[in-house]
Parts: sequence; C-alpha cells; structure tokens
Amino acid sequence: MPSILEKIRVLGSNSKYDICASTASSRTEKYPKLFRNSKNWIGATAKAGICHSYTPDGRCVSLFKTLFTNKCIYNCKYCFSHGCKQRLSFTPEEYARTFMKLYSMNVVEGIFISSGICGSADATTEDMLESIRLLRFKYNFQGYVHFKCLPGVSQFLLKEAIGLSDRISINSEASTKEYLAEIAEQKDFNNDIVKRQRWLQQIRIRHNEEALKTMKDLKQDYQLAFQEKMIKERRKDGYKKFRWDGAPILNGGQTTQYVVGAAEHESDWDLLKRIDWQYREIDLRRAYFSAFVPIEGSPLESRKGTSLTREHQLYQSDWLLRIYHYNLNDIKEILTEGGNLPQGDPKIHCAHRYFKEHGSINPNDASYQDLIRVPGIGPVSAKRIINLREQKFKFNSRKDLKSVGVVLKRADPYLTINGRNQTTLLNFLK
Amino acid sequence: MARKCQDPLKIVGRAKGYSKKELIEGLRRHSNFSPKLVQQIKKLPEAFLRNSGTPLAKKLITMMREISKEAYRAKQFTRTEINNRGVLYGVVNLKHNVMDIVLHYFHERWPQCIICLYNEHNYRTGIINEIGRIWEESLSLQDLVQKISENRSIIPYFEDIQFSGKEIFEEHYKSQNIIERENPKYFSRMIPNYCYELPGMRNGIEKRYSSRNRNINEFI
Repeated sequence: MPSILEKIRVLGSNSKYDICASTASSRTEKYPKLFRNSKNWIGATAKAGICHSYTPDGRCVSLFKTLFTNKCIYNCKYCFSHGCKQRLSFTPEEYARTFMKLYSMNVVEGIFISSGICGSADATTEDMLESIRLLRFKYNFQGYVHFKCLPGVSQFLLKEAIGLSDRISINSEASTKEYLAEIAEQKDFNNDIVKRQRWLQQIRIRHNEEALKTMKDLKQDYQLAFQEKMIKERRKDGYKKFRWDGAPILNGGQTTQYVVGAAEHESDWDLLKRIDWQYREIDLRRAYFSAFVPIEGSPLESRKGTSLTREHQLYQSDWLLRIYHYNLNDIKEILTEGGNLPQGDPKIHCAHRYFKEHGSINPNDASYQDLIRVPGIGPVSAKRIINLREQKFKFNSRKDLKSVGVVLKRADPYLTINGRNQTTLLNFLK
Repeated sequence: MARKCQDPLKIVGRAKGYSKKELIEGLRRHSNFSPKLVQQIKKLPEAFLRNSGTPLAKKLITMMREISKEAYRAKQFTRTEINNRGVLYGVVNLKHNVMDIVLHYFHERWPQCIICLYNEHNYRTGIINEIGRIWEESLSLQDLVQKISENRSIIPYFEDIQFSGKEIFEEHYKSQNIIERENPKYFSRMIPNYCYELPGMRNGIEKRYSSRNRNINEFI
C-alpha cells in the first residue's frame, strides 16, 4: 500500500506541467456562505491571490496540485504516463484530509484537482467531485478550488463541478482537430473539448442567473441587474467586457492550456486564431501556454523541447488581444512566413509597422487606441494621459510623460512632442 | 506653480502614494512612529504628501510600504499548526504594529478557531478569538495554547488532521519543480534573502534551494 508521501511524490510530479497561475477569486467577499449555510466554515479566497511559496523555476506553489490518479486509458504522445511506471490513486478522503492539513499550515491557498482517466471520464470525475464535496461539506472549506474537467465528461457532472469550483479548465492541448489527432489520437477535439467548453459557458451563465435571484436579501434589484449585465456584456470584438465579472458561481471562469510545440507544424498563428475564437465564443477567461518538454519514454522523447521564448511571446500576444484590445489581424501582419511570431516583443513589431504607416503621434491629441499602441505606454498610463487632457493639461515635454508612468526609452521613437521627435540612435543611423 | 500644487489624485484620476488620512492612520503602526510626525503631516498639503519627489513624502511612503510589506510577508510565510481543539498557532517576527492585520487574516480563514501568534520581536503572543476580539499575553506560546485548549472540546474534523504535514509539503514542493525551467534569478526575486529570516521560512525547504551555491559551512 503506497504511503501518502509516495502518492504526492508521483502524482505531484505528474501534474507539474499543468499550469495554474492564479489563486484570485473575489467570491467570498460578497457571498461568504455560498456552499453551505454553516457557521463552521473554514477558508477564504483572496481577491488578488496569495503565494505561499515558490519553486526554483520561479513559479508559485500556492495550490495543492496533484493528479487524483495517474491511471489513464488515453495514450497522449506528450504525456508523462509513458515514462511513469507507478500507477497510483488517491482516495477522496485521503485527498481532502491531506489538503486540509496543508491548508492549516498556511502553505497552500487552495486546490487544483486534475487527473488521468481511470476507466471512464465520468467515473474519475465522480471520484474527484467526491473529494471536493468532502472539502466543501464535511470540512466546510470555502477557499479556492480549480477543477480540471476531463475530456468527454457528462453534462450533469460538469454542472455540479461548476457549482463547487472557483475556476474550471479544459485542456485544449492543440489548436485544431488535426493537430490534436497528431499528439493525442484518442481525443475528439470537437466533442471532447469544444462541446464541453460551450457547456461550461452556458451553465455558468444560467447558474449565476439563478444564484443572483436567490441573493435578493444581499443586494438591491438594480445591483443584481447590473451584475447580470456585467456577466453577459461584451466588447465590440465579441470578447467579454468585464474579465472579472463578480459572478458568485465559478468566479474565476474557465481557462484552457496548450502544449506549445508538441504538434510538429503547429504555428503561433494557429494558436492565436484558436484563443481569439475561444475569447469570443466561449468566454474563456485566459489561455495558458506550456512549452513542450520531451519526456523520457514517450513517443516524442527525441523531439527538441520548445523554447521558453516562444511561450513568452505567445503570452505577450495573448495580452495584446485581451488587455490592449488589439485585433487579431494586427498580430497577423507581423508574423513570419511560417506563421510564427518574430523574435522580440510583438508589441514593438506591431508599433513599428503601424507608426511607419501612420507617422508618430502627439500625446496631446492621440486617441486612447493610438496611445496604447506605443511601446512603453500601457492601459494605465494611456488612461492617465486622457484624464489629464480632459483637465486641459498639455504635455509640453518628455518629463510630463514620464511623470504619468510612460517608459520613455521605448516610447520615444513613436512620439512627437512640441513638434519634435526624440529618435533612437538606431533610427538616426538609418 | 499652481498646477504643481494640485493633488494628482484629482487631476490624474489615480495616483501613487497615500492621502493625509491614510498616512495618519497607517504610520501609527510603524516602529519609528512619533506623535510629532502626525503634527508635521497635518500641516502639509495633500499634494505635497503624494509627491514622492519630496524628501519627507518619500520617507513617509517608504515607512508605509515597510508596514504593508511586513504584514503581507507575514500572511505569506507564517507557518501554522492546529490542534484538535481548534487552536491555530504559529510564530511571527513583526517589528511594526501589524499583529492585528495578520490575526484578522487568519481569523477570516479559521473563524471558529482561536488564533495565537507569538511575536519573536517583543516576546508577546497576539490572540484573536471566535468573535474577533484581540488581546496580548506574555505567556510562552506552548503554555498559552495548552491553557486555551483546556477549556475547549475536541472538534472532529480538526482531530482528523492531527498528523505531521511538514514532509507532505516538502514532498509536494519538490514534485512541482521543473528542472528544465529553473530560473534562480526569478526565484530570488520572488523570495528575497531577508524572507529566510522569517520564523516560518527559517527551516523551510525553499532555503535548501536558494542556498545551493553557498558556503558548505552553512549546511552543517
């Protein structure tokens, strides 16, 4: 009988490539007794999340992140399961107790529960849910839970998982049906993944509508109507208008993860197209990218690992889409022939192209959209500039811009102040 | 000149720094606080206090940051234990007067427990009870926990988790590291060296990784 330590060692290392960066949830602040109206509840979520430790790779260890079982009927080519000889499973009771112990030590902030598929997706999900039920109803745990949805799981189980979790994710792994078939031939992209993601979106909206109706004693009617609007409202490009919409159910929304570079010819463009679609159509909160690492004993063992730079550039582009409201075509213009992002910061490439065509801008009359295209100006400093202009403030020197947080060494080549453009040495030589 | 005297919060919409009210309330927690400082702050205009370019404001902002940083690090890196009677206890090292903030953080998580945090800095233990009342005692942590526990009954689900978790956390921590992604520079930015001086981190597994290339005598 393997010990708990043995299980954590094996199942923890099997889940280390799963990414979960956030522990933030604004749920408990407004709805403290969501799961059970008990006075004995334990745990809380922090609005900005808290990291209790970090590994030497710099990632935070704030969630109890292990697989529930590493027994799996699938045979994905990138997966650890080829190299791992020990097949282990937690029991729900064991899992819940171990987590509560760690939580009482203040070394973890919440739980991240994922699993291999032992028997069927439904049977494994049922066991995983049993652990969460124990946590929520036996130990009265009200803190952060990230639930990993298994491909092919039934809708009724998904419904229950949504009601018990702060965040749910379904790993897309690849951007298209063909690429997924290349690395995980048993998974059906449309049925196992996309269909489940759509369910998640619909159930979340429905659950929240019902939850808001039952919370009439906590809020006024107009507040509830506003909150419902926040959950549903969209930007012009189809993305959700409010990323953190304050929903009482599944506050952290749904996320997904890609294995970058596992499918041989999958380009950055393929991935960006897919996440753009997911942001518009299924209300994805955010996408995570995990650079492919060849695992000993797996069919892709001899393949070269993906560089972390590529992963980083994908995150930068993702940021441009979500936070800077860039259009996907803006990024398309800077791609190389193979459809990959060029070396360096995608925002600088976009800016170089855009301002070559439109000329440098004057911060005294540029629009918000133009301002955030300038490297060194982010949404916060762009808003500050606009606010100052509304107060009839004129930017007469670079110093004024610096005082609102603009990074001048990056922004200079694209700005004209008082009719002057502070160029870089490189541009000057050109 | 008139423009320069305006409060950036009013003209920019958001600004760094603290308002006069926040400074007066917050600085009382600092170990170097003196009532004279409050009198000095009261005389100064809001815009002056928000402008981190002025030496006094710079000093005040630094003091405020020291306070919030200490409270945040205590929330992050304090390691606690719980007994079967619902007493949660741990050790902190708080130079500034932020014990109540840290106690409230734990109280939010464990509302039906009594929380005792021993402060190494002033050799006193801060306690918060179920209704959120805070007081201090000068008894040793062990005696205090025993004394409080005597009057409390055993709570079944705390009884359930009466086993050592240190090895479990260490095993979990080790299992999460991806060697291919090792990034010592980032790691040391996330856990700066002074954090290893905190009671919860002194014997923590993180230190074994951070001190990998140090003098061998440190390991003995």
